[in-house]
Amino acid sequence: MKIIAICTLASALLWTTPAIAKDHEAQFKSVEAKHFPRAEGVELSPAFSDYLYAELRAELTKAKLFGQVIGEDEVVDPEDAPKSLVIVGTITEYKQGSVVKNALIGFGAGMRSLKVDANVSRRSNQQNLTAIHVHVKVSPRWDEKVMAKFAAKNIVKQLKDSLKAEAKTS
Amino acid sequence: MPFRRVAPVQWCVLAMCALSTVQARAEDPKPTPVNTITVQLAEPVKPQTFSRPLKFFLVDVVDRSGNAQPMLVFKPRGGIFLDRTPAEITRAGLETCLKSANMLASDRNSADFLLTVYLFNFGLSDSSGMDFFGKVEFAATLKNPKTAKSQQVTASGTSIAGVAVRKKNIQKNVQEDIERAFADALRNLLRGVKLRDAVVALDLPADTPATPAQAPAAAPATPAAKKPSVTGPKD
Repeated sequence: MKIIAICTLASALLWTTPAIAKDHEAQFKSVEAKHFPRAEGVELSPAFSDYLYAELRAELTKAKLFGQVIGEDEVVDPEDAPKSLVIVGTITEYKQGSVVKNALIGFGAGMRSLKVDANVSRRSNQQNLTAIHVHVKVSPRWDEKVMAKFAAKNIVKQLKDSLKAEAKTS
Repeated sequence: MPFRRVAPVQWCVLAMCALSTVQARAEDPKPTPVNTITVQLAEPVKPQTFSRPLKFFLVDVVDRSGNAQPMLVFKPRGGIFLDRTPAEITRAGLETCLKSANMLASDRNSADFLLTVYLFNFGLSDSSGMDFFGKVEFAATLKNPKTAKSQQVTASGTSIAGVAVRKKNIQKNVQEDIERAFADALRNLLRGVKLRDAVVALDLPADTPATPAQAPAAAPATPAAKKPSVTGPKD
């Protein structure tokens, strides 16, 4: 009886996994992430933007939502443009935080924080598909680049959720 | 009596010398076959197609990184070295890509465009400490030998790879990371809008004779270079 139950579970898993993968594959052919510029007054190291861009591309590749993650300003065939997305964004706020406040007060005081706004649009007609707002908070002792990692993860997670929701409604 | 006092001092000096040499050895890793990696493209990047078949000749690759040890890509844990200089790797990679699409000219005279690459970054860059951040950055000067006009096209490639504990895995991750960043940079150059716009701005029709009288005719191309075309070469 136990063996039959295990076999049924395994076969159910085998049936559902390719179906999920197929759904993701069919949705979009390519995605292009742009470098996120900093808003006025945001004091981050020049390398941060590059690092966030690299992390975002790595997370997009990991997500397997798109056939291809293309580089910035890469030529795309006109026939592929309707199935291609572009992610543009801005780093709107960065607070360095305070180690002293964090240690003495606690409860989230003195945390290092980063706010990023991003827009995902279709390449062919610039139709805005989703707007993403990310707010990342980390310990002030950590490197600022750790925030880039978390921000990229958050952006891709929100994108994934909104695309799933859109697919369900359509 | 004085001998008894001197002996411990001598021992201390000897110990300090030994410690300093050990430290010096740890600071300067040396390339060996074990800690040397070979960076090459897994598969050549297919360049974009232009309105007419073009041939490029790679004149030179100049290292402008200002790095005293360009082949040392990772210093801790005995170091990781490249088997060739970044300039040689870049030249080989670019030539392979152009050759695969039959866009590499055999000599300067048969080329439609001359390429000179200035390398600014090749290897690993500062990361969060939770991963390796590979970065390759260069600028290519595209020159039309007939008109002697030129334009610069920048390209960059980045990649993220996970950290590892074992030396062997670190080496593998660093190699993969640099290879991906390098492929990404080449892709950014060869499939980029910037190269397309530069070619559109500098290219002359195939039947135009290369005479000095034609040079003013090519002059209107310059404003186009300042304001790149959005629609592409077919327009």
